[in-house]
Amino acid sequence: MAKYDTPMLDELEKGPWPSFVTEIKKAAKTNKMSDDELGQLEKSFQTKRGYWKHGGIVGVLGYGSGVIGRYSSLPEEFPGVAHFHTYRINQPSGFFYTSAALKEICDIWDKYGSGLTNMHGSTGDLVLLGTTTEALEPLFAEYSSRGWDLGGSGSAMRTPSCCVGMARCEWANIDAMGICNHMTQHFQDELHRPAFPYKFKIKVSGCACDCVAAIARADLSIIGTWKGNIRIDQAEVKKYADGGMDIQSEIIDMCPTDCMSYDGGEIKINDVQCSRCMHCIAKMTKALRQGEEKGATVLVGSKAPIVVGSLISWVLVPFIKCDDEDFEKLTELTENIIEWWDDNAKPRERLGELIEVKGMRPLLEAVGVDPQPQQVREPRKDPFFFWADSDFEK
Amino acid sequence: MSLPERQTDVGPPHFEKFLPPVIKNNYGKWKYHEVLSPGTMVHVAESGDELYTVRVASPRILATETIREVCDLAEKYCDGHLRFTTRNNIELLISDKAKLDPCVAELKEKGYMIGGIGPRISNVIHTQGWVHCHSACTDASGIVKAMMDELHEYFTTKELPNKVRLAVACCVNMCGAVHVSDIAVVAVHRKVPTIDDENVGKMCEIPTTVGSCPTSAIRPNPKTKSVSINEEKCMYCGNCFTVCPPIDIHRPEDDGVAIVVGGKIGSLRTSPKFSKLAIPFFYNEPPRWPKVVDAIKNIIDVYAANAKKHERVGEWIERVGWEDFFKLTGIEFTFQHIDDFTFMRDTLRTSAAFKY
Amino acid sequence: MEQKEIQDEIFAYLEKMKGKKKLKEKDVIKKIMADHAELDKNTVKTALREMINVGKIMYAYGGGASSVEIPSEEYLKEKGLI
Repeated sequence: MAKYDTPMLDELEKGPWPSFVTEIKKAAKTNKMSDDELGQLEKSFQTKRGYWKHGGIVGVLGYGSGVIGRYSSLPEEFPGVAHFHTYRINQPSGFFYTSAALKEICDIWDKYGSGLTNMHGSTGDLVLLGTTTEALEPLFAEYSSRGWDLGGSGSAMRTPSCCVGMARCEWANIDAMGICNHMTQHFQDELHRPAFPYKFKIKVSGCACDCVAAIARADLSIIGTWKGNIRIDQAEVKKYADGGMDIQSEIIDMCPTDCMSYDGGEIKINDVQCSRCMHCIAKMTKALRQGEEKGATVLVGSKAPIVVGSLISWVLVPFIKCDDEDFEKLTELTENIIEWWDDNAKPRERLGELIEVKGMRPLLEAVGVDPQPQQVREPRKDPFFFWADSDFEK
Repeated sequence: MSLPERQTDVGPPHFEKFLPPVIKNNYGKWKYHEVLSPGTMVHVAESGDELYTVRVASPRILATETIREVCDLAEKYCDGHLRFTTRNNIELLISDKAKLDPCVAELKEKGYMIGGIGPRISNVIHTQGWVHCHSACTDASGIVKAMMDELHEYFTTKELPNKVRLAVACCVNMCGAVHVSDIAVVAVHRKVPTIDDENVGKMCEIPTTVGSCPTSAIRPNPKTKSVSINEEKCMYCGNCFTVCPPIDIHRPEDDGVAIVVGGKIGSLRTSPKFSKLAIPFFYNEPPRWPKVVDAIKNIIDVYAANAKKHERVGEWIERVGWEDFFKLTGIEFTFQHIDDFTFMRDTLRTSAAFKY
Repeated sequence: MEQKEIQDEIFAYLEKMKGKKKLKEKDVIKKIMADHAELDKNTVKTALREMINVGKIMYAYGGGASSVEIPSEEYLKEKGLI
């Protein structure tokens, strides 16, 4: 194949970093769609603009999510990408695969699509990049029958995503993958059938390092934390010092709450003052371990800038237990949050934006959480505040 | 040829199906990990079991041919077990220590790039760009490739004071976490959109279109059965284009990218932070965006030279002050840097104490 | 009310609103419940979902949001329904 000259894109095959152009060319060797993708992309590089139309109405029967319509605005010039829809496969929690499973996914994709993928999309799905409308039902039959369902899109629950959690991290305070999988299965209907005011994203991180960026890009951010004293192995502390770590400047002086001290031999922690930020533990993982009462902080509302500015999630529930037997409680909390949002939001209004309009109180009352200082950075400054009838009864 | 019977609402396969035995046996019982090299680490469980990980760079767009090749390597060294990271790296999961070095050697021989662990630059979070998005105002993969060709040593070998998380978003919708990255590129428009009145009337809901504008610049226009835009209020976000395609925001000759800095996600030491504007505009210069790459390289160099060990970009800037950031980097401070959007009151200086 | 009757009313409502306002599943359910106080949400939702499952109506996407609509002929052909 290779019917296009691509001088601009060829420049991006040079240099040491792995090249996406090389990937598209690999697929284009045998795939007509990818070849036209390459041609259209070269044109974009020449003219500095994209040639994709707004998404159209495509999907699999019964679902409203998971397939994103994509059409070239130059179908005559690039017929191979006249239809070039995205097929989102819901990834396994933690992005674990076996080679056999991935190869099977590839075999099916080569048969029906462009042979190009995103491993993975920003939300977390395994993204298959570019197929035709006619291929959608066959793809769904092939994948769903093998246990691979579609992910979310549109005004729906989006595919939940998480960090590697307890599968391979000593800092995981909660079973991030277990919670993510449980939520995904619980909200199947909401994921596939877009009935919400707008998108709703759930992300789960095992600790405050937040490797899945839950706090910045999920309407519901579940982040592992703990209560109780940090466990210290003083022999390992000594090894870090012997290994050249300047414990005073790198650990003690960088503690945000000033709750640690080091006398040249042992580390002491005033755990009451600790905010559990993870700095010392992350730097001295052999010597310091989280306390043993594990759980999660539940935060709400983060999103990207559209419409009135980006938001980082706000604390709703400072601490909730998250052991296997608590998953249902977490699910119920999530359902209550969603119900409040669904009942009150305008079309295309995210949870964070609704909270800005209504205030935190209605949400706290809807989910039955008491006001606590952990929910604010500081109390309000101006003496304007609401009084509800119920406040007078106290 | 008949198709298998479709199933609905089965969800993804349970992750347990894909875990190597060493993970199943030690799930939730990991004790510590050690970074062995910029691209390899070992996790040690309470039981003493070990799991070795090799982290490999990926352009995120992968052809099935490449996935199969990586799968073959996983079969050779990892009993077929592999995963992807939240930053789109590939990780090979090795249970048998003896297979670590041969695996690394073969990866290198085949041209794969290993690294990204520790105080370095890991893979770049980015969006679809011209490859596959209707609202792209730059190409994300292209900028990432050009940028990482320049910075790859910070992935494979060189250290920085702490991790530097990079991101590229091809429009302000920001699929990905650009708004909380150490250094990020975001594509921006700079001109008021044009309105195709006839098609607006046919294709769009007027109240939704009016409501889509964050600055209330859009009003219904009953005469044309369309909308009109108050040019003084428009900040070119393009949300109207998202809800109503006949309002065209794209201007290839005027569009380009901004650079934002200082965001972070983790709560380590300081709370998560938004990224803030460093450089308001560069023209799109495909295929390699040389000025953007130089500007990012400069910020990283200045950060590397001035930050304390373990300080993230945003923590370093907050310690020295933004006035010092602009001085040290030589970046020009412009009207665009002074916020006049939603959260403006949080950003203006309210003290007479500052630096020159 | 028989399910068939509910479905006829859903279809008639969607037909009436076609091109005027994009409706969410919730809007349709609310409208039917407003017209028939005796119906509960689940009954209407079930009736609506069954229509979606057989392609009598469908989820659509446009203007940055999802809605329910009467499918185009093109869609029905693709799904082998006509």
